Amino acid sequence: MRILLIICLMLTVNPLFAAPTVNIAIRNHLFYPSTVEIPVDTKVKLLIENQDQTAEEFESYELNREKVIPGHSKGVVFIGPLPAGEYPFFGEFFPKTAQGKVIVK
Amino acid sequence: MLINSVIIILREVFEAALIVSVLLVLCQRLQLPRRYFLFSLVLGGVLSTVYARHIAFVSMLFEGVGQEIVNAGMHLVTFICLLFLIFSMGRRSYYKVTVWAIIGCLSAALVREGSEIIIYIHGFVGIEQLFETVVAGSFIGAGVGFSVGVFMYYLMVSLSPRKGVAVSLVALVLISASMITQALQLLIQADIVISQVPLWNTSKWVSEGSVTGQILYALLGYESTPTTIQVGGYFLSLMLSSGLAFKTFKTFEWEMDE
Repeated sequence: MRILLIICLMLTVNPLFAAPTVNIAIRNHLFYPSTVEIPVDTKVKLLIENQDQTAEEFESYELNREKVIPGHSKGVVFIGPLPAGEYPFFGEFFPKTAQGKVIVK
Repeated sequence: MLINSVIIILREVFEAALIVSVLLVLCQRLQLPRRYFLFSLVLGGVLSTVYARHIAFVSMLFEGVGQEIVNAGMHLVTFICLLFLIFSMGRRSYYKVTVWAIIGCLSAALVREGSEIIIYIHGFVGIEQLFETVVAGSFIGAGVGFSVGVFMYYLMVSLSPRKGVAVSLVALVLISASMITQALQLLIQADIVISQVPLWNTSKWVSEGSVTGQILYALLGYESTPTTIQVGGYFLSLMLSSGLAFKTFKTFEWEMDE
């Protein structure tokens, strides 16, 4: 039981270290900004505000993230810590226009 | 827009159709009354409407990760119901456990996939130039997904009882492991479970965005860049559920009546 508790504590995240926040807006099915730069090996909180009436799904195969953000609402997605590189993301409901990328360096 | 709507709805309906067709085959094999199946459909439909209606509120709970926590909860409920179902099916004394496990799995699957469909379509209400196209695309996507479900149902029902139960058990084992890895993924995204560097990257062989990747995701919970925790969770749940499945298959009471 004690070992199980220790494993659970190891797997859960220490809340003392708050992740820096990056704001992203969705407007007219476009991401603003469409390019986000974050430092290497750092956990970051993406606060995504969907200003459109339509819902959008923030999705990235490279970041392994997927989240529905209804119209006129916000959503939080944590990413990282990541190695240096480019990680594209897109809006699954409007993939032709809603495109962006996270640059880790 | 039309093609995009077809793809989005097809993906959701396909994922639901997989689990629904397997459970419908089990209802038929175990001679469970259809009313339980219909009750699950209604319950899932009502709950997905309620969830979709309050999704913006739910999303902002727990400092913005409420959606992940609720969705991970639904995956875990499905996992637990699947374990109970694998254990209890074919055992007369656990008839009620089987019924409630099927109701739990079906309702949760419908809420997960149904709420996303409602949120997607609802966003277009009032946008005249797009709404009709989206609804038309959604009907086509739903029709194709539903047809796949019907095809799989008849394919599994046409098998001999032993083969049918074996195939159903294998499907339930794979779905249960997939539920765990998806729940862990959501908890990582919500920063509740620690984020790790992926254990491997198979995106060059099978991209998650490709048709093969999407089918493998629905069947096996495929992810091209899983973390150690996800892979560990997947194999642990695979071992647990397949152990139960072997035991169930050996002791299956083939003549099961209410």
